[in-house]
Amino acid sequence: MFAAPAPPVMRAAGLGLTYAGGHITALSDFTVDIPAGSVGLVGANGAGKTTLFRLMLGLLRPTAGHIQVAGRDVATDPVGVRSRLGYMPEHDCLPLDQSASDVVSTFGELAGLPTRAARQRASDVLDLVGLDEARFRPIGGFSTGMRQRTKLAQALVADPALVLLDEPTAGLDPMGREEMLELVGRLAGFGISVILATHLLDDVQRVCEHVVMIDRGRLVRAGPIEALLQTIGVMRVEVGGRDDAVAVLAQALAAKGLASTAVDAHHLDVDTSRHGDEAFDSVRDAVADAGLRLYALSTQHRSLDDVFIQEAYR
Amino acid sequence: MSAQSGLAGAVYDRGYRPYVGPRGGRQEATIALWRLSVRRALGLRRSWRQKVLPWSLLAIATVPAVVNVGVAFALKDNPLDFRDFEFITYREYVGVSTTLLLFVALVAPDVMCPDRAQRVLPLIFSRPLTGPDYVLAKVAAITTIVFGFGFLPQVVLYVGQMFVSRDGALNYLTDHAGPLWQVPVSVLILAVYYAAIGVALSSLTDRRIVGGVAILGLFLITSTVASIFEAAADFHGTPLAVLNLLSLPLAVRDLVFLGRLSHDQGLSGVDGGGAVAVAGYLLVVLGAIALLLRRYREVDL
Repeated sequence: MFAAPAPPVMRAAGLGLTYAGGHITALSDFTVDIPAGSVGLVGANGAGKTTLFRLMLGLLRPTAGHIQVAGRDVATDPVGVRSRLGYMPEHDCLPLDQSASDVVSTFGELAGLPTRAARQRASDVLDLVGLDEARFRPIGGFSTGMRQRTKLAQALVADPALVLLDEPTAGLDPMGREEMLELVGRLAGFGISVILATHLLDDVQRVCEHVVMIDRGRLVRAGPIEALLQTIGVMRVEVGGRDDAVAVLAQALAAKGLASTAVDAHHLDVDTSRHGDEAFDSVRDAVADAGLRLYALSTQHRSLDDVFIQEAYR
Repeated sequence: MSAQSGLAGAVYDRGYRPYVGPRGGRQEATIALWRLSVRRALGLRRSWRQKVLPWSLLAIATVPAVVNVGVAFALKDNPLDFRDFEFITYREYVGVSTTLLLFVALVAPDVMCPDRAQRVLPLIFSRPLTGPDYVLAKVAAITTIVFGFGFLPQVVLYVGQMFVSRDGALNYLTDHAGPLWQVPVSVLILAVYYAAIGVALSSLTDRRIVGGVAILGLFLITSTVASIFEAAADFHGTPLAVLNLLSLPLAVRDLVFLGRLSHDQGLSGVDGGGAVAVAGYLLVVLGAIALLLRRYREVDL
């Protein structure tokens, strides 16, 4: 699915999961290669994101197909897979009566790290997520943002090859969300691949290089975000200089064979799909010939929301 | 440093160092979970309030040994009595106190219920652990602590008696070689039994208080029901005495110390009562383990 040179961190082939004797389908014919780096797993609530995580962690057995994570077959070596994964659940999952330092080092030990190394790693990752001063306080007194950071720290403590983040920005205020996304965006630079499950496409668009779209247990689309957000052949032009500037420009563009649509008194969208980059010159010339003022000129892109809606509901 | 460095709660970039040291697997993770559970049960690295009850119960469990040794020491030079003072035997000391049961009712829910109530299980099972590993670590943790709390007072009693013995420490040791293996074996039998039941019942609820009450209630109710059956049989012995979950491990203890059931056991008048006791014991322990394995077969994320 991707043209990535590095081996995929997750490879699913015909993956399926049904419940209740096959009457309920949680995942169906799911085939995808997820490359190393930052990957967004997007879909509405109940689309199958957490189910996919459970299958990746080996906590559920698929009823069809195969899945490999970090180069290991989940069916034959689930424990080996989990030893190289970090997981940050969406829901509250921290012992509230313990300090962040104790909790994170505990999960380091449970990942197989020696006690001393686990405590050192806990200190390091809590520094990394910005909880250096609060790490000896009980988690029960933490804000939502601090708890989310503690959850991220426990996922990172054993230096995983791949970390699964389930809605890491859920419940955060704008500032907390910014900080969390910034942190998540830096993980790939540390050599830790990330799969970010969310229904917030904007989060994915900001920090991920690839996206996997899932809807009602089926793969909708997967690929590099840049390729999905290709231009859609529309240029928005902002002009002024006279009250009927938009109408005058539309007429001038029509004479050059360019169709356009007025957006408001100063903006119009020009269809450039059949003209390519030459349309920029044509628009510039038309504005100059008509004696108008050109304020802005930009190509219009699709958003991930556009792609998701178009692909999921076509 | 991040762009938000001047604001409260900012994320600072201290860099990231990959871990290159040793990394264990299932065995290390299971041992870590056992160690953490023991630490939690004893209140270590927790506030003093969490330490009070377990350590108080240990102190209470040790009182009979201290009293016995103290009185023996005071009477050591009494010319009218030529025997060592002994108001409690090693056999009776195994499980004679309800302190251990209270202790299990206190700590088993404390190491089990919060994992489920605070939804920590998904994090635990995202580590290189399996359901059986989790069950093994938890049962082993409670077994370890109950064994320690049951065995330590026995050590106090034995060592104390040895040093206050009129015949001398060495003679006491040679005269009382039996308890050296009988005590640890029977305390272990009791510890496994209490741990399996305590952990299994605690796994069924999210609330510690419910778990504690369920453990005490089970022992209370079964012993009451069995007593009714024993009374109906005119105390001549009935196989239904095996339903008495409180005295069942003590019957097995009797087999270790005496090679037979003591007369105060409800199964003592029953043909093959010892075998019934062992079978009942195994059934309860294995049943509790089976329940736990089923309970932790699958975990919701």
